[in-house]
Amino acid sequence: MTLTATRPAAVRERQAARPRRHGRRWPLYTLLAIMSLLTLGPFAAMVIVALSPRNAPTVPAQWPDSLTLDNIAQVLSASGFAEWTLNSLIYSGVSVVIILLTASMAGYAFAKKRFPGRDAMLWTFLATMMVPFQATLIPLYVLISDLDGVDTFWGLIVPTLANSQAVFLMRQFILGLPDELFDAAKVDGASELRVYWTIVVPLTKPILATLGVFVFLWHWNDFLWPLVISQSDATRTLTVGLTVLKTEEMQWSLLMSSAAVSAVPCLVVFFLLQRYLVNSIAMTGLK
Amino acid sequence: MRQRLRDPITGLLFVLPMLVLFLIFRIFPTLGAAGMSLTNWNIGGEWSFVGADNYTRLVNDPNFWSSLQATLIYTVIYVPLVMAVSLCTALLLNSIVFMRGLFRGILFLPYVTSFVFAGLIWRWIYEFDGLLNGMLAKLDLGPVGFMERAELVLPALAVVSCWKGFGYSMLILLAGLKAIPGSYLEAARVDGAGPWQRFRSITLPLLKPAIFFVLVIETISSFQVFDTIYVMTGGGPAKASYTLIYGIFERGFRFWEFGYAATWGMVLFAIVLVVSLIQRRFVGKENT
Repeated sequence: MTLTATRPAAVRERQAARPRRHGRRWPLYTLLAIMSLLTLGPFAAMVIVALSPRNAPTVPAQWPDSLTLDNIAQVLSASGFAEWTLNSLIYSGVSVVIILLTASMAGYAFAKKRFPGRDAMLWTFLATMMVPFQATLIPLYVLISDLDGVDTFWGLIVPTLANSQAVFLMRQFILGLPDELFDAAKVDGASELRVYWTIVVPLTKPILATLGVFVFLWHWNDFLWPLVISQSDATRTLTVGLTVLKTEEMQWSLLMSSAAVSAVPCLVVFFLLQRYLVNSIAMTGLK
Repeated sequence: MRQRLRDPITGLLFVLPMLVLFLIFRIFPTLGAAGMSLTNWNIGGEWSFVGADNYTRLVNDPNFWSSLQATLIYTVIYVPLVMAVSLCTALLLNSIVFMRGLFRGILFLPYVTSFVFAGLIWRWIYEFDGLLNGMLAKLDLGPVGFMERAELVLPALAVVSCWKGFGYSMLILLAGLKAIPGSYLEAARVDGAGPWQRFRSITLPLLKPAIFFVLVIETISSFQVFDTIYVMTGGGPAKASYTLIYGIFERGFRFWEFGYAATWGMVLFAIVLVVSLIQRRFVGKENT
């Protein structure tokens, strides 16, 4: 996607210029409260159903007589669930590490190096952003299948590592670092790998952290690719596992418990890094 | 100036890992999709060149036209809905100071979850004995089969995607709003312009690039809707929610007609390409 940028100076100006006016704000707050209720309602409903005894009447919008953790406990001990969670962690974790590494290396080269074909390569990377993943799904599957990668971790992970957005984000950030830093290191006789490791990586930590969080969320929530590649519990991720649960004979209380548990890592990431996530979207248009 | 560090070998070496990944898993499949759409490739890996046969078949395939129709209807419902919700919430958030962070956080929350997660919750909400029908029953309104009635299923799905995704567009628009200098609005206020007039003649024009950016990404994402449909409707009822991606998935992984599925993929590619090109054209004009 295109990268958009805010103008921090303009933001400050706007905030400084805003007159502090009190009162007459209650209609705005009422509307926001209604929007918030609509946003949180489904989460609340899910939690109530998840904590209700099986077959307890929770509808119409009714508190159950008692709450129980039985459903959660059963989900956590259900066959497959722990395995799917671990698989999701592997899928997301390994992808984060490799994408951060390869994208920061490529971003550094695109930003600060000259080499033949650089601009053509950059242009090609940019152009592939316009190709929807789903349009290449079939040939990608055939490719992985021919390489015997179906239902393996490498088949699941490796094709998702080609992430042009990550490369562009890194390039944009590294472009802003002063050339003198790299010149100085060169003059001091530092090797390229050392320059990368002691200058590029530390200085790009903020953007690496942001990108890492997004890559984690993208992969944790990814569905279509795991759906076609993970065909057994050995590699099945949580999102795919949830749809397997749904097709099996399954009560809503258990299904809602599974859904709730599956979202926990995302919600933790969100609560820990909310401000950070929000600001980075505003700044980079990261999707 | 910039780019003083001439060193062709290290530059290439640093790009190499990502370049290899790109060539194999992006470029090659993209070209492969175009090539496969001209073959009758099947699950056994056997294929022969069939020229434009798949495209002829596509044009005469009622499933394709109904899926294109479903996708377009979905887009026509989803895009205005998500634009309205994200613009309204962004404007609301921009008008308050107290508790802004809290509200922003709450409204953004569903964005970090998966479409599968959203689909599961909303499937339960839309059930005959689910939350929504329970609330309707209290108002003495009969149970509505949101997932069973062909005319309701696409709006119902659009609501789910909107609930899950509007927070992202809201943040982009909020950033755009914050970038509008307060002095402009203040000057207009002094000149006696009312809130609506200020919105129409200052906020809206200055927000246009952000609005257009959001419009394009949301349009593209609406053409790619799949996860919620897979979880909630399976393309039904009576193929009412059988969208393009669902078609690609089913052609490929239920009927194992890879060649023909690739042809469906090319249509998606063409649509996204056109939307992206329109964006480029528009953004180009904005900048000049």
